[in-house]
Amino acid sequence: MNPRVRISKFALPGLLTALFLLALLALGYGDMHLSPARVWAGLRHEDPVAATVIWQIRLPRILVAMLVGAGLSASGLVMQAFFRNSLASPGLLGVSSGGAVGAVGAIALGWASTSLWALPAAAIVGALLATGAVLLLARQGASGERLLLAGVALNALLAAATSYLLSEFTGPYEKNTQILFWLLGGLEDRTWEHVMIALPIVAAAALLWPLGRPMDLLSLGAKEAQSLGVDVRGLRRRLLLLSTVLTALATAVAGSVGFVGLVVPQVLRLMVGPEHRRLVPLSLLGGAAFVLACDVAGRAAGGLRLGVVTSLIGAPFFLWMLRKLP
Amino acid sequence: MPPLKRAAFLLLGLGSILRGAPSAERVVSQTVGTDELLLAVAEPGQIAALSHLARDPEYSAVADEASGFPQLQLNGDAESVLKFQPTLVLCADYSRPELVAQLRRAGVQVLIFDHYATIEDAYANLRVLGRVLGDGERAEKVIAGCQRRVAALERRLKGLAPAGVIAPSTYGLIPGANTTFQDLCDHSGAENLATTLGHLVGNAPQPSEDMLVWPIDFVVVSGKGVAGALAPFRDLPPYEYLEVVRASHAVLLPPWVLGCVSHHRILGYEIMAQALHPEAFK
Amino acid sequence: MNSLDITRGTVPGRLEDLSLELPQGKLVGLVGPNGSGKSTLLQLSAGILPPSGAVAWGGRALADIPALERGRCASWVPQDAQFEFGFTVWSVVAQGRYAHGDDGKGVEAALGLLDLEPLAARPVNQLSGGERARVLLARALVTEAPLQLWDEPLAALDPRHALETLRLARAVSRRGTTVLFSLHDLRAAHELDLVVVLHNHRLRAFGTPDEVLTPGLYLEVFGVRAVPAPGLSLELP
Repeated sequence: MNPRVRISKFALPGLLTALFLLALLALGYGDMHLSPARVWAGLRHEDPVAATVIWQIRLPRILVAMLVGAGLSASGLVMQAFFRNSLASPGLLGVSSGGAVGAVGAIALGWASTSLWALPAAAIVGALLATGAVLLLARQGASGERLLLAGVALNALLAAATSYLLSEFTGPYEKNTQILFWLLGGLEDRTWEHVMIALPIVAAAALLWPLGRPMDLLSLGAKEAQSLGVDVRGLRRRLLLLSTVLTALATAVAGSVGFVGLVVPQVLRLMVGPEHRRLVPLSLLGGAAFVLACDVAGRAAGGLRLGVVTSLIGAPFFLWMLRKLP
Repeated sequence: MPPLKRAAFLLLGLGSILRGAPSAERVVSQTVGTDELLLAVAEPGQIAALSHLARDPEYSAVADEASGFPQLQLNGDAESVLKFQPTLVLCADYSRPELVAQLRRAGVQVLIFDHYATIEDAYANLRVLGRVLGDGERAEKVIAGCQRRVAALERRLKGLAPAGVIAPSTYGLIPGANTTFQDLCDHSGAENLATTLGHLVGNAPQPSEDMLVWPIDFVVVSGKGVAGALAPFRDLPPYEYLEVVRASHAVLLPPWVLGCVSHHRILGYEIMAQALHPEAFK
Repeated sequence: MNSLDITRGTVPGRLEDLSLELPQGKLVGLVGPNGSGKSTLLQLSAGILPPSGAVAWGGRALADIPALERGRCASWVPQDAQFEFGFTVWSVVAQGRYAHGDDGKGVEAALGLLDLEPLAARPVNQLSGGERARVLLARALVTEAPLQLWDEPLAALDPRHALETLRLARAVSRRGTTVLFSLHDLRAAHELDLVVVLHNHRLRAFGTPDEVLTPGLYLEVFGVRAVPAPGLSLELP
């Protein structure tokens, strides 16, 4: 346990530093090669071209990356505590599939081009409807196993709905590329509107913070937690709501990005232990840093989409995790 | 193109003139269709970059001409476009709205083309681009040349019975009405059976059973040679059962023709008309 | 606060129309064949199963007690717990103080009582069954709840730890806590203050061991005959 205690002392400042450095790196790196002097001039609005690139293109992208990473990571942590399983991920209950149906539907039916808000809004509506459907299917309070099965069923149904939309409405092949673009998950051309759409993630994260201690108890057994004084029904409701909001917003602005919610909390748990009072803030920072790093790495590797990079890193990690299980 | 849309399009072009004709345009083209437009109407010095498919002869009618110009990268974002310092970017209606928004926020004019199915649409697009670039005359010259060729073709085909054709595909969708293929048929003495008998609109699922009895004179394919182009269909229902495929009655077009949205499609008209009605060209 | 009063408690399929009134400060054994409803009764008493009927602690209706306060009033130990995450033994036991504001009071003492001191830093998901059982008990003790409801706490324990736990339970009840726990060892049941017998989801008998645990009851409820026999009985040195 000693190594864990040592690490956890440095984890928070370490992650903050990493995040700051990654942000600097991402600010200075892009297709348009700007020297550090021009980046600085751009930040101060002295060089109009650089200013546009820095303020309109790179900064929103960096902020969206951090928000999406924080949101997905925290959502994964919540799911893992909720289901008492370290293999749980944000998309377990169909939230991201619902978002996919909303977004694909908007593109297929032609609404996506009407405004920048249309696509994220459709994704959010889809995600919330999916969560509502899961709760309805599970009924009788949100008990773990029923919820899980309802989520499995809904994920299958929503995948079918996405396929249907793809087959029926996308004769013009160009729509397919737009849809694929979204389904692969990416941060290209994120605007300040996307930052605003994703900003409630901060509020949700703030609401999640004080729930860390009860999450500890919940993660070791719901009935035991109830007996120890946790209002389990209320806690579960709040956790479900927060996880839904976090996942829906993240998916709405970046498409389907996988493995963040699975990989980041697990790595942090291995490093600093399972105490959620530590894990909640660290997951937020760690997720932000992870997605930002993946985005920069993808760009450096010649335009690999974010969803591809997180899968390339996440899938082998997932398999490694399975080996470590009893 | 419906008159209202056409009017709107022209107003767009006029609007940019009223703002004051730009002195030295730097134009980036985001799609193959706009590449072809741009190369027809612009001075070489005005072209900053072409789309990532511009040099690919599978998709581009101007692959050779494009080799002298810089290219955009696949999946490029706004920054990769802006690094060419454009004053004008040409997009299509299926370009990502976020990309368009980012470019406009950077102060770049973005021209979006959303009608390109028929040759008339292609002329209108030429006119708009010509006006925006401040050289309407050049566009008119190109259009006039095209119209002459089309008229000449029409004269040759006058009175001839159209040949029944389809454009087969390996993925289950074939082009019906309101597609570039329909336009191709309309100008080359062909009847697109997918439209007249199948009543298909756009790229739609093929009616495999009905197709077996359609009076198809030719299938229209593209590729290196007839044998190679027909190969995928010899084991694919329903095409493997069609007499026209068995007998290899095919019109072979250069690969970029079937998707061509610019005036270059006229070459396709001519090739197809000659293949379908050789007697008119003696 | 340490009396338990169940009025016509029913859990469909598992408990029928059960009424029970436990006085305070007693060590009470809950016996019955498998499937007779012992675990259900304990969960019902702990307020973690919704009953139709009424449950009251120390005269107060359970429904009127808010969640956090319930944690201070009663403590439930499950039959077995599978711990998914690697919290240390120390921190799991310390979770018992959640309803007391996480003050960490009494954790060291509880670890000592349950012979867990050498394991204090071990992750709970690496413990054996018996060690896990002791962790659960330590956590329950740390809550200082006047009503303790334990589900088969002795089942996984070796003979020495089982005897120590019984001794611990008796010491706790002497201080005024009511301890209700289920067990299969009927000989140990004879050492308790009171015994509750369940049979076929119903309350079959309730009273002192001498009153209740008669040969007739052994035969009827458990299907075994009780004969005096010579042999060893185990006790702590």
